[in-house]
Amino acid sequence: MSINFIFEPIALPLAAGIIALLFRREQGKACAWFCTAVTAAHLAIATYLFGKEASLTLPWGAFGFEFSLKLYHFSGFIMLAAAGFGFLISLYSTAFMNDRRFLNQYYAYFLLTLGMVNGAVLADNLIVMLFFWESLLLTLFGMIIIGQPQAFKTAVKAFIISGVADLCMMVGIGMTIYMAGTMTMSQIHLPLDTWSSVAFVFLMIGAIAKAGAMPFHSWIPDAAVDAPLPFMALVPAALEKLLGIYFLARISLDLFVLNPRSWLSPLLMVIGCITILLAVMMALIQRDYKRLLSFHAISQVGYMILGIGTAVPVGIVGGLFHMINHAMYKSCLFLSGGAVEKQAGTTDLAKLGGLRAQMPVTFICFVVAAASISGVPPFNGFISKELIYDGALERHWLYYAAALLGSFLTAASFLKLGHAAYLGKPAANHSKVQEAPAAMLIPMIIIAVLCLVFGLWNALPLNNLIQPILGEARLEGHTFAGWHFSVTLVLLTVLVLIGAFLNHIWGAKRAGNGLGAADHIHYAPVLHPLYDKAERRLFDPYEIGLKIVRVIARIAWGVDRGIDYLYDTVAVKVTYAFTSGIRKAHTGSLLAYLSWSLAGLIVIIALIMGGI
Amino acid sequence: MPVLLIIVPLLALLVLNLPWMRLMNRLALWVGLILCLIQFFLVLHSPSFFWEAPPLWLGRLFLFAPSLDYLSLVMFLAIAIVGASALLVCRYSIHDLLEPVKPGACSHKRFLVINLLILALTGMNGVVLANDLFSLYVFLEITAVASYILIVAEKGRDAFEGAFKYLVMSAVATALILAAIALLMLTAGDLSYANIKLAMSASSDSHIVLAAVAMLVVGLFIKGGLIPFHGWLPDAYSAAPAAVSVLLAGIVTKTTGVYTLIRIVLSVIGFSDTLENLLLLIGAASMLVGALAALGQSDFKRMLAYSSISQVGYMVLGLGAGTILGLAGSIFHLFNHAIFKSLLFVNAAAVEQQTGTRDMNRMGGIAEKMPVTGCTSIIAFLSTAGIPPLAGFWSKLIIIVALWQSGHIAYAVLAILASLLTLAYFLSMQRRVFFGKLAAGFENLKEANVWILIPACVLAAITIGVGIGIPWLFETFLLPIRSLL
Repeated sequence: MSINFIFEPIALPLAAGIIALLFRREQGKACAWFCTAVTAAHLAIATYLFGKEASLTLPWGAFGFEFSLKLYHFSGFIMLAAAGFGFLISLYSTAFMNDRRFLNQYYAYFLLTLGMVNGAVLADNLIVMLFFWESLLLTLFGMIIIGQPQAFKTAVKAFIISGVADLCMMVGIGMTIYMAGTMTMSQIHLPLDTWSSVAFVFLMIGAIAKAGAMPFHSWIPDAAVDAPLPFMALVPAALEKLLGIYFLARISLDLFVLNPRSWLSPLLMVIGCITILLAVMMALIQRDYKRLLSFHAISQVGYMILGIGTAVPVGIVGGLFHMINHAMYKSCLFLSGGAVEKQAGTTDLAKLGGLRAQMPVTFICFVVAAASISGVPPFNGFISKELIYDGALERHWLYYAAALLGSFLTAASFLKLGHAAYLGKPAANHSKVQEAPAAMLIPMIIIAVLCLVFGLWNALPLNNLIQPILGEARLEGHTFAGWHFSVTLVLLTVLVLIGAFLNHIWGAKRAGNGLGAADHIHYAPVLHPLYDKAERRLFDPYEIGLKIVRVIARIAWGVDRGIDYLYDTVAVKVTYAFTSGIRKAHTGSLLAYLSWSLAGLIVIIALIMGGI
Repeated sequence: MPVLLIIVPLLALLVLNLPWMRLMNRLALWVGLILCLIQFFLVLHSPSFFWEAPPLWLGRLFLFAPSLDYLSLVMFLAIAIVGASALLVCRYSIHDLLEPVKPGACSHKRFLVINLLILALTGMNGVVLANDLFSLYVFLEITAVASYILIVAEKGRDAFEGAFKYLVMSAVATALILAAIALLMLTAGDLSYANIKLAMSASSDSHIVLAAVAMLVVGLFIKGGLIPFHGWLPDAYSAAPAAVSVLLAGIVTKTTGVYTLIRIVLSVIGFSDTLENLLLLIGAASMLVGALAALGQSDFKRMLAYSSISQVGYMVLGLGAGTILGLAGSIFHLFNHAIFKSLLFVNAAAVEQQTGTRDMNRMGGIAEKMPVTGCTSIIAFLSTAGIPPLAGFWSKLIIIVALWQSGHIAYAVLAILASLLTLAYFLSMQRRVFFGKLAAGFENLKEANVWILIPACVLAAITIGVGIGIPWLFETFLLPIRSLL
């Protein structure tokens, strides 16, 4: 294999992305097929590259700074997954996006994002990785802003939140390079002492913010409403999770060695649990298909962070497996949401209903993906969640309880979503709704099938994709493939799911429809005011940050005014006071001038005769 | 042979006043200009035979031995440049040939003014050449008398008031200087600088000598128009005809006041702590009060007059630093000031002539109609305010650095602040006169004619050239000052 082949996953999408910009506005269709062809070719290349190892180092610039790439199992896996999603979602977009504006920009950002992700994954130099990582901000901003005219605010929000997190990561990278004495990632293995823990926290902030964990999540629900839907399926649901969890795994496994005794492990687990619970609580009360999904995109990150945070092999395997599983079912869910949006014209759950009859394929795909995310056996989500439960239980039962509660609420919210959108009475004006076109169905079907395959034959992904990331030494001969779970845990999981189902039936009966199935939780005594405030974004870290910034800005403005006042008013007034005094003294009287001179003469004579 | 710089103009004056009136009337301007140009080129070609040769037979008629050093050359150069500018402004602003000629009365006003200008130039050349206190006194008086009459050449009420104030205050100065000369003669028995210096060092604590020094210095302060001896200056400058203002502000008070002060301090009195403190104090006061007063003026020329006081303050401040660097800054600033202040007065003359007023509040947007005047005025005021890379920046910088190095940090800070004030009042002037909307009534305003644009452009070019050429001038212009101490 030519060594430069390693460039391809970066160069091909970037070059194609720039070419996509050359398409004219009316050539949207051509641009879409161009993009699909490129992603197909890219998928083929990524498949070819998967499992191979290669590295490339070019001197670049001064300060011993090298452009180095490294292809190995983990990066090949992420690239393959990204390429797969890229292809499927591009195919989906050909049907979904065809009447939108700015198509050439959309596909250009699409391809550029893919190239940047590959670059970030392949990079073996922290600075090179940071370069690609930060470049993603540009396409993120661009993809949100082309969604609709009022998307600007959301785009800025996403940009600022990601930018702040990336800044933290930059600090972390700086500290790491300083401590390790090298920028090459594959040569860094730092023990976790005080300072390297701080560096770890900074790097972790960058990683989990990219994955969308709390408190760096708040742009995702807004983007779900404003941005084009395939963007949601591609970036926050799939690529950003892959990238963020990839880097979290890299820093926990390679760059630093996260062990259960370090205080960082509980920190990660707590962040994970909080993210799971708070986000899913918010998801439960959403009344918009896409917004509900977006909160789950946040919530599920919590499982991955929890899994990796356990720092025991089973948890890490579970976390990584959950990463790829989540990317699959969440994309599928978003795609199903897109199909509903496209066909029914809305994603407002209050205006939907009974779509099962009209869109049966979409419904089946939705059911599979929803079952996966809720952890219903035998789908892939069940497997990865069980692994994470095992890991969490090994650390403390509280983490396990939180994760299980999250599962309960996840199941509840998806029962609500499915019930409201697909079951129940058909909405009045939706009688003519038809099944989505094939270009949109095929990606959904493929992903749904993979969800089932990854569950039933979990040995296939676990043995081939996930476990090699940890390596033989860390696994100590264990293998997590297969179905040897503790019966108690499985029973507990199933009980929780049945509980969620019963809860749903009760709630739906109480409210009279599927949409209100969670109202008894929404309007519960303590939760109701909290929910109200959360819906008004009072807990949104971005909004709080903006308030703080506004206070600082006001103080700075006051200081600025003060300085201006000093210069523009005080200084001028004082000067003119002197000036008018001097003017008054100059009466034009020769007598006065002469007497000044004589006074001056006397003083000077006294001075000189007294002084010398 | 430098004595020729006094003799030739005097002879020229004699010839001009031979009774061929009509011809001489036309020649006078050119004679004056040629004298200035010759002086200019002679200085540029120093050292040369002219400066080093012993006096010829006519020169020996003078009883004093002229002294010549680097400082004198700088002064000759400035005198030549400003003199030529004043003569051209005179050609521009005084229209005597159009007036009806009364029989028996000399109505050739321009001819008269040119004659007096040449006389004043002669006097200043003499002041620069003088090597003893008595000759100095004589030439000071020649310059002063010529100036009195020049101020009243237009015969207005203001002119008489200004001239009278100048006359009275100058008389006080003259009396003080004369008294000081008498006292020093008493001590030294001789009036040449060198001998007085010797005598003073012999009896340095004698009360008579100290009183003489004090009176001499105060006399020169009055001549230079320093605070609080400046009462005559704004009236005299603003009431004088345009050409005379250029000469007075640009060079007369600087020669009779500042140059003489520098010369006396260097050659006769010598630096001492008390003298330095006195110079710093008076310099700083002039600098600040002049600038603050300028800020409050609405008369164009009066504002320039106060600005002049402020700039003289800088020169005295530089001298007061008591170091070679301060001296260099002081002399350099004197030269630069001669250029840019003349330029400002030239512009003021053009504006006054074209608009018929000096009240800045009634003007506005004139740059639109008088682009050359407006542009050169910008160059001049930026140079005055000390904006790099114009000439004024370098001289102020040297003065401030000298003050800092000699430990007078407070004075250095004051100098910088006064620089801000300078910028403030000049910006206010520029905005009121040249920028903004064209004021009502000036729709038919025309640019001044070529007689005044030539000096304006030449002076602006010198200001820019000196500023940009400072790396070269540093060797030829500033380093020779070392030889003075």
